[in-house]
Amino acid sequence: MTTGTTTSAHPQSPGIATRTSSSKSIPGLARSLLAQREWGVAVLLALTVTAVAIVNPAFLQPANLRDVLVNNAPFAIIAAGVTFVIVTAEIDISVGSLAGLLSAVMGLLTSRDYAHLNVALACLIVLAIGTFVGAINGVLVAYCRVPSIIVTLGMLTALRGATELLMAGKWIQNLPDSLRFLGTGSIAGVPVSILTAAALIIASMILATRTPLGRRIYAVGSNVHAARLAGLSPRRIKLFVFTFTGFLVGVATLVGVTKFSTIDPAIGKNWELFVVTAVVVGGASISGGKGTIIGTVLGVLLLGIVGTVLTFLKLGDRLTYWERAIQGAFILLAVLADHLGGKREK
Amino acid sequence: MTDASDDTLAAPRRRFLENGFLFWHEFVLVALLAGLLIYAARVEPVFTRTKTQLNLSTHIWELAILALPMTLIIITSGIDLSVGSTMALCAVVLGMSFRAGTPIALACVFAAITGLGCGVLNGIFIACVRVHPLIVTLATLSAYRGLAEGISHGEAISRFPPAFTQISGNLAGLPIPGLLFALFALVTAIALGKTPTGRAIYAMGFNETACRFSGIATNKIKLILYTLAGLAASLTAILFAARRNTANAAVGDGMELDVITAVVLGGTSIFGGRGRVIGTILGVLLIHETREFVSWHWQNDVLIQVVVGVLLILSVLLNTLLTPRGRE
Repeated sequence: MTTGTTTSAHPQSPGIATRTSSSKSIPGLARSLLAQREWGVAVLLALTVTAVAIVNPAFLQPANLRDVLVNNAPFAIIAAGVTFVIVTAEIDISVGSLAGLLSAVMGLLTSRDYAHLNVALACLIVLAIGTFVGAINGVLVAYCRVPSIIVTLGMLTALRGATELLMAGKWIQNLPDSLRFLGTGSIAGVPVSILTAAALIIASMILATRTPLGRRIYAVGSNVHAARLAGLSPRRIKLFVFTFTGFLVGVATLVGVTKFSTIDPAIGKNWELFVVTAVVVGGASISGGKGTIIGTVLGVLLLGIVGTVLTFLKLGDRLTYWERAIQGAFILLAVLADHLGGKREK
Repeated sequence: MTDASDDTLAAPRRRFLENGFLFWHEFVLVALLAGLLIYAARVEPVFTRTKTQLNLSTHIWELAILALPMTLIIITSGIDLSVGSTMALCAVVLGMSFRAGTPIALACVFAAITGLGCGVLNGIFIACVRVHPLIVTLATLSAYRGLAEGISHGEAISRFPPAFTQISGNLAGLPIPGLLFALFALVTAIALGKTPTGRAIYAMGFNETACRFSGIATNKIKLILYTLAGLAASLTAILFAARRNTANAAVGDGMELDVITAVVLGGTSIFGGRGRVIGTILGVLLIHETREFVSWHWQNDVLIQVVVGVLLILSVLLNTLLTPRGRE
């Protein structure tokens, strides 16, 4: 119920998206600097990294930084899709369960203990199932008018059950090396998962800011009635964002889960919470129309380094238990900062 | 998530259709429940005996008690994702203070105060800072569970005194948590259906701005509702600890989704303005009976997740297909 004044996500977005009265008096660049959460998150991230680096310089070792990026690459990929979903004022909380289901499918198809299918074919099947489930979400939300929180909550439960049925409580082992390469291998010294994440993030940024489709996504999220009157089809655009998210979950599964030598039935649990949290910390508004890919990536990194930071601060093993408390506090701080900065959502 | 403020013109017509449908929704739930129980009685006669049902009912009360404040919150078009985490934090506070030598009664009071605090914090962020409930409670879902993990270091506390574990036992042949639930359900139903506050709760779900302009203290109502949810979570934490004789940071994991599923299955609209206590009770019962029957008959409770998920989507799909367009 909070469709109030929503600030435009990027300076050149169409008139539908800009509804703040002050926006005309301040030049575009300055406004985008002030209005965006990205800078706050970037500063917080920089401060955290600097503080940890001072306490324990080992944090800045390339191997450690690479680990942080590899661990967060799948989340960044999924979060890019969820950003688009949240920009259209919908939500997708089924991504974690979908990743779990796709992991199980991937394992069952490729493992030497099970189907032992051709890896390329198996990857295609995983991507196809991911896209298909995303499309089901999209059809139910856009064409059947079921609220997205209900659709994806139902999917969250149903897909988790399907995963457990498929895996029957066992772990899947003996994944072929060519599949493991996606998660553990490197091309020219850069891990495959980081390369994939970077490529998809850049593609998503181009989609968001440089294509008509991107503009339309923001327009639908800012004001669905105006978008419809302007001749856009909110249904098709919503179907697209959910399908795209399903596809990205497939990619994230391929490059993220394959770094483990076994697939356990709990993979993907609570991913949706982490991803939605990161997107919101990155500045996207749950009431739609606002949010950027770069903000989301910064949000993923900020929440994702909490665990590593706690380890490197060497304040004792027991401190790592506080990871989730600190992640939760980050969101509350972010929304409180918005409130104090006078940017009420209502 | 959506703005319902601009389609109030069609309200009388829609309200008629929705009210008509609301009864129908509950009728469908009763029919499904009856169908399930008749089938169960034929295949597994022992399952439908009163004694079996009473024994199995120990699993239902925590879900049922949490579903009551959640119904009210969802009717105001809010949501509370933090109930499971609040349960965990309360259980850990209960356990840790008991282990530190506090009398168990006082430990329960501490747990209740913790639940109250958690609810008030949610309420303040939602009502006063005016952040979307989904965001606030998503944050506190992590934060409260994190606090529970931090305080307990992931350890479990057990060996509570027998006087405490009897809370989850029977009184005159009836389960004490069930009696508590019946009392709360009655109070909630009366408050929602027969008091001005109840009308205000429905009205807030339809159009909050109009409510504020009509002089309804929407902030106060929100603060109270989220506080009640926190208190209910602390009560369920105490009941859980008594039933299982253990308290740890994993208590209530995923509980929020079960509760929301039950409430929405019971016919409460996620957009607010619509819902009833009786529907919620039927939703809880339907999920409970399906779950127990499947694990009784097939010794397999995995399939049921698929069924519950699909049931949830289908029930709301039916709901939206039968109501006229609008509210987008």
